[in-house]
Amino acid sequence: MGAIRLDMTMSLDGYVAGPADDADNPMGLGGFRLFNWLDHREEKGPHGDAYAEMTASQAFISGRRTYELANHWDGDLHGGMPVFVLTHDVPDEPPPGSIRFIPPVHVCAIPARVAAVVAPTSVLGAGAAQSLLNAGELDELELHVVPVLLGQGRRLFDHLRTDPVTLELVRRGSTPEVQHLRYRLGQQT
Amino acid sequence: MSVVLYMSMSVDGFIAGPGDELGNGLGAGGEALHAWLAAGDGSPGSYRPENGPNATVFDEMIATGAVITGRRTFELAHGWDGDHHDDVPVFVLTRSEPADPASGHAHYVTDLEACVAEAKAAAGDRDVMVHGAATAQSMLRVGLLDELAIQLMPLLLGQGRRLFDDLPPELHELELLRSLEGPGVLHLSYRVRRTS
Repeated sequence: MGAIRLDMTMSLDGYVAGPADDADNPMGLGGFRLFNWLDHREEKGPHGDAYAEMTASQAFISGRRTYELANHWDGDLHGGMPVFVLTHDVPDEPPPGSIRFIPPVHVCAIPARVAAVVAPTSVLGAGAAQSLLNAGELDELELHVVPVLLGQGRRLFDHLRTDPVTLELVRRGSTPEVQHLRYRLGQQT
Repeated sequence: MSVVLYMSMSVDGFIAGPGDELGNGLGAGGEALHAWLAAGDGSPGSYRPENGPNATVFDEMIATGAVITGRRTFELAHGWDGDHHDDVPVFVLTRSEPADPASGHAHYVTDLEACVAEAKAAAGDRDVMVHGAATAQSMLRVGLLDELAIQLMPLLLGQGRRLFDDLPPELHELELLRSLEGPGVLHLSYRVRRTS
């Protein structure tokens, strides 16, 4: 089975969106600044490598908030890839297309790892990331750390209830635009 | 010369674990934030890593000509027994100056701008070292911090005291000066640019 990987672009001060993020402005105030590095996504080198891997996933785990903000991807994310949505409150209506509601994190992690044979299953959204971290079900972190301070916004690492977790830096792509840092999660200490 | 913040921070943004207090300055699990340093005897200079990138960064830190820190950090560190390094002056920011003077080379100061001016004057052509989260936040708010030297530790603490907290929703562009990987730590240096 493969890995569950969180792939996120974050400011140095830890935000994945600016303040006042909502359906009309999902990145919040100033948050789109985080994605400037994607202008280089077709280039050879660290940016191109990071983007290629980011888009290689064959399955996804999403939080409910991201699922709603993305308008359910109209039931079709990247050509019908499976999306496992973590939610405390499963709607009565079945989800559209290739989307599945699998609320318990530990249960969700099983098909997510099965689907990760070709490429790691990707986690969408800070909420899902926090649920997986709290459940000890996250295998890898790929952080794209942008040289900017947003000051306020939506934090990636928040509401964590875990004991400290050791990480191992397994790859680093350093550029002026962003630090691409891949960490493997180790044991809780 | 620059005013440079030196802090060891976990990947999730903490500079101390929960429950940091006198006698346990780094909080629960927070000792791991200093794993890039050698085992020292309490005086800052004794924590010098043996060699390599970690020693390079450490040497830059203790080549600074003055230290600015907050009252809380200063007290948790027991005032570094009066000498942070090489007898350079230590300026301790506090809301109200205590009746007793600070020990050794330390001075209590209540005005941030005056404090930075004094520290710069004392440092001459050397950099000024800033240490402590609250002080860093105060200085970022008013644009008095020139550089960030973050020792990014491969660790998620989950909870504790954050380096970047209580800041206004104000975008600061940073310029990467150096990314240097040492054993067990990534040293990231940035210049702070004030935008908007």
